[in-house]
Amino acid sequence: MILLQNARIATENSPVLVESDVLIVEGIIQNIGTKLAIPEGGRVIDARGRVLMPGMFDAHVHFRAPGFENKETITTGSEAAINGGVTGVVMMPNTRPALDSATAVATVLENAKVRSRIPVYTSGCVTKNREGKELAEIEGMRGLGVKMLTDDGDTTADPAVLLRAMQYATEFGMFFASHCEVLELAGPRALNEGVMSYRLGIKGSPACAEEIIIDRDIRLAHAAGAHVHIQHVSSKLGMETIRWWKSRGDVKVTAEVMPHHLMFTDEHIGDYDTNYKMNPPLRTQADCDALLEGLIEGVFDIIATDHAPHTPFEKAQDFLSAPNGITGLDTALVSLYHHFVEPGKFGWDVVVKRYSAEPRRLMGLPVAAIEVGQKAECLLFDTEAETTFTKEFMKSKSQNTPFIDQTLKGRVDMVILGAEILLER
Amino acid sequence: MARKDLLDIASLHREEIEFLLDQSTSFKKLFTRSVKKIPALEGKSVLMLFYEASTRTHSSFEVAAKRLSAEVTNFDVAHSSITKGESVRETIETLQAMRTDYIVVRHGHPGLPGMIARQTTASVINAGDGAHEHPTQALLDAFTIKEKFPDPRGKKVLIIGDILHSRVARSTSTLLQKLGVEVAYLGPGSLVPKYVPASIRRFTDYEAAMAWTPDVVYLLRVQLERQDVQFFPSVREYHRVYGITNTRLAEISDLGLYIMHPGPVNRGVELCDAVMDYERSLITNQVENGISVRMAVLDWLTPGGDFPKQEAYAAQPRAGSKVILP
Ligand SMILES: [Zn+2]
Repeated sequence: MILLQNARIATENSPVLVESDVLIVEGIIQNIGTKLAIPEGGRVIDARGRVLMPGMFDAHVHFRAPGFENKETITTGSEAAINGGVTGVVMMPNTRPALDSATAVATVLENAKVRSRIPVYTSGCVTKNREGKELAEIEGMRGLGVKMLTDDGDTTADPAVLLRAMQYATEFGMFFASHCEVLELAGPRALNEGVMSYRLGIKGSPACAEEIIIDRDIRLAHAAGAHVHIQHVSSKLGMETIRWWKSRGDVKVTAEVMPHHLMFTDEHIGDYDTNYKMNPPLRTQADCDALLEGLIEGVFDIIATDHAPHTPFEKAQDFLSAPNGITGLDTALVSLYHHFVEPGKFGWDVVVKRYSAEPRRLMGLPVAAIEVGQKAECLLFDTEAETTFTKEFMKSKSQNTPFIDQTLKGRVDMVILGAEILLER
Repeated sequence: MARKDLLDIASLHREEIEFLLDQSTSFKKLFTRSVKKIPALEGKSVLMLFYEASTRTHSSFEVAAKRLSAEVTNFDVAHSSITKGESVRETIETLQAMRTDYIVVRHGHPGLPGMIARQTTASVINAGDGAHEHPTQALLDAFTIKEKFPDPRGKKVLIIGDILHSRVARSTSTLLQKLGVEVAYLGPGSLVPKYVPASIRRFTDYEAAMAWTPDVVYLLRVQLERQDVQFFPSVREYHRVYGITNTRLAEISDLGLYIMHPGPVNRGVELCDAVMDYERSLITNQVENGISVRMAVLDWLTPGGDFPKQEAYAAQPRAGSKVILP
């Protein structure tokens, strides 16, 4: 039994926080109200001033297992999630071997059951070994609960292959997540093509390389009657393309935006800082502004991190040699608070809706609401405290993040899942 | 306070540039003496780390170092196996263990010399990193221009060619602008990006560029070997549209303009054969000046640990410098 006293509860429907006591009995929220009686033998937590919200859900993470356990494992990845207030994740299938069959998916899910304290879901490949040629064993993966199909890391280059996959898998109620990039235009995929790429002497990746596929894949979904989910949008025109298609209303399209694309620009790369090297790349302030607008407006259904761990050794190379990607699970919620909620750019409702409720709906899962009768799946957030993202603080195996050693406003104090307290600071 | 590394032009201060150019003048005077060697770097070691072949820059640095009495070592870069970043890091550890004083590095990856500089106590000189920078080339270009125009402020330099892939264009235009020179670019639309700094004028055809009345026409080398994608239809068309043809050379000669090129020249592409005999061609001057400029750079840098990176300071000859010549 846990009684949280005087917590300020955040919901997806209103930016206003409602102060209440919340009583959790055997992992179920049994009562919400003022001045609830202190249960005998129960634990009482004074949550005054702190925000209580549903656990976050990250629908785009790379846990690197199997195949790249030196970067991350299911254990370290899910602990990083808990550290950041995330209580459920969807893995991307670009592992080695790639998750393109029932066997591969089954192995990962069984592993996750033992090695993670939070539910870990996975997406499956569209094509065998993510090669873009032959369709993966889609129906077999559906039997194991896979809903999302993606060759993330790469675009399914051949539109005919993707169209056929869409026609086939839509029958099974599955949807497609698109990594949008014309490889021939994208060069070494290091940074945005523009003033900064010119200054640094690196062939940039133009925004149009992304925008072309955003449009192409929505058109394919339109033709196939499929649901397409556009991953990690980084450009203004990309956002506007999705907005336009959504306004037509005759195709099922959802989209996601990453915290880093809302907060950083290519200027942050400075003197070749590989912690800002990611794909799609950081673009310009105008793109950041447009993405924020798209998030507030709802063009973006969800926030996800694209948590992409790499070893310090790999990231310590020169800019061209270093791999793309940054970690995000440890830092997402605090950085969203620091950059947007605290300065009043948007309210807690946007965070709860876009990083907790909608991602669960996208995956066909029940929403983790703080309501009587629901399973307790929540976190306590201290808006006055600060978090310093030291190497020791991070639970991810890798620390390739621009936030390393930065101090931001806000702290995840406690994470509760069912009857268990997963984190307590 | 002195500087440990020379990685780019962008972070150099005007005073530092002028100091280096003055020093180069002093070193150049040395060339007419019978004994061309001075003991400025005696007992010091210079390591040449060239991941990309370059006879010209390599030998220029080597001669410069030897004239300062330094010991020169060529690090054996096996081109096949050492192209990956990881191998470079292992190499850096080896270099640090060798306690060399100076490392002259050329690599195809932008920013890599900076990475080496951060991990060694040696002074690192960027001898070209991808399409990023080539600072000593910029210094020798500026030096060559200053020999003809002692006060280069207000002079105009037209750079023609592959701006996109050219570290020379980046470094030289940055440096010239710091000296008050006006710079303009001309080249194929596929090789002159729209987002070059606004301070640089951009021309789309040769006639308009000439109407701007440049003092120097600087041709960039067409890096045919680098063109994995086709940026222009043919070498013949390139020569016709952007090259110095015989007709254009006559016009340039009438106007009394200087011609520069970082070399080696693709004859019949950037320049017609007749340019080799053109009296205002500064191409051989550039090669010659490369040595004195590199001597000035080697003499100026101070190897050692704990140097704050890219910090502002006033340019000064380093303490105990023996090379301020009459
Ligand atoms: Zn991706």
